[in-house]
Amino acid sequence: MRQKRKTTRVVCMAMFAVALATLGLAGSASAFSAEFKKFEFCPYTNTEVKKCLYSVTNSGEVVLGNKKVPVEKPVTLQGGFGKPDEITETSKFYEATNGITLSKAAQAVPGGLLGIVPPEKSPALVKALSKFFFENSLTGVNSTLELAKPASEIKISEIHLSTREGVALQLPIKVHLENPFLGKSCYVGSSTSPIIWNLTTGITTPPGPNKSIEGAAGEIEFLEGGRILELKNDVLVDNAWSAPSAAGCGGILSFLVNPIINGQIGLPSTAGHNTAILKNTIFLSTAAAVKKDHTEHP
Amino acid sequence: MKKRTTSILMRGVFAAMVIGAVFAGSANAAPAWKFNNTSLTGSETIVGAAFESSMTIPGLTTKCENFLYKLTISNKSGTGEGSLTEVPLYNCTTNSPVCTVDAIAAEKLPWASHLTTVTSSNYIVIEGVKVAILYGGEECVLGETVATVTGTAGGLINNTTETATFNASSFSATKTKLSALGSGIEWNGVFPTEAFEWHREQALTVS
Repeated sequence: MRQKRKTTRVVCMAMFAVALATLGLAGSASAFSAEFKKFEFCPYTNTEVKKCLYSVTNSGEVVLGNKKVPVEKPVTLQGGFGKPDEITETSKFYEATNGITLSKAAQAVPGGLLGIVPPEKSPALVKALSKFFFENSLTGVNSTLELAKPASEIKISEIHLSTREGVALQLPIKVHLENPFLGKSCYVGSSTSPIIWNLTTGITTPPGPNKSIEGAAGEIEFLEGGRILELKNDVLVDNAWSAPSAAGCGGILSFLVNPIINGQIGLPSTAGHNTAILKNTIFLSTAAAVKKDHTEHP
Repeated sequence: MKKRTTSILMRGVFAAMVIGAVFAGSANAAPAWKFNNTSLTGSETIVGAAFESSMTIPGLTTKCENFLYKLTISNKSGTGEGSLTEVPLYNCTTNSPVCTVDAIAAEKLPWASHLTTVTSSNYIVIEGVKVAILYGGEECVLGETVATVTGTAGGLINNTTETATFNASSFSATKTKLSALGSGIEWNGVFPTEAFEWHREQALTVS
């Protein structure tokens, strides 16, 4: 009888614990109001973080060497940033708490890498694989933008974003080229040799043959009584960046495949031959406002 | 031969008449400052305070209880001009529960201005406007940020009420624009005009 009571108590306690855990999970899932939900991964508890950023690149294009890749799948940049440096007017960036500061969205390379012709002296296997993977419409090539360095290496200037002068966002990136034949490690750019985008909402001054292009600050709207700023139709541009050679393409055959990819894309590509145009919707809030919203929506 | 010469002469005379009419038209169209219906000679100082004035970036309106100005006016070649030398702004607030106005100041004064006529209405156009606003508030997304309003502002002159009204219509008519934070803004204001020196208590009109 005593044993039965004990068992019942244990079962009850377990059920109570499960109920608490469920409530806890439910609570954390709705820990922000609808407008602030987008800032849930902002590191707002870090006292160095003054503002939270959530930016979605909805369209645009990246011209890398002689390949133009339209941005068709949204790419999200999120995290926090600190007080701006008084001289440079730029702020240090802080990684998103879920680790996804820059989301990985695979963009299709139009036409894949059709036209790749391995050198005549290439082994028959390389020629055959190249033909199979590149010269058909089914297995195209995707390119994915990834951060080449830690998020702390990103620099942002809220002031330059609106004044359209200077660099508004500096991104150290690498381009991941994906295709079954290219393997999992085919990159243009790396942590030691990143592609640096100095993006501006103003006018670029690239070396030739590129010509000046113009970004846009976009249209501002304040939401939540001045707690959130939405920047619509913001356009960040840079066409003065250079890109190194591709590396790691083709796995163990990289010594053969890398030169093919480089030849096809035109890598390394010096400044004046590459372009990045990112059309964004940007949301900003203060860390204090995000924190308060979180406490008010437990 | 004679007929042809006459025809060319007639065309020349007609062209001269057309050009003359155009120039006469534009000369008449140039509005001037007038006191008691007499064109101002020399210069005069106008001092006033806005009846009401607000600046709106969508979602955030900033108002100043005291929006004063000092404008020195004159007529040059029949067209009214002005120089805005002082624009003190006090007691400014926002419609946001979290945003305060910690500091506000007009910069790069004096601002040049001139009168112009657009479809029979007279306007004052102020050029080189620059107002820096420092917003505050821990939760305000613009907290510790200086928003600088820049651009050109056109206001409709009303001779009856002796006011200049700045709003979306007057900006559109004069093709002027004010921007802040890289975005176009709306500015609404009604400013009375009153002479402060030689023409004190005289009716100020523009025509």
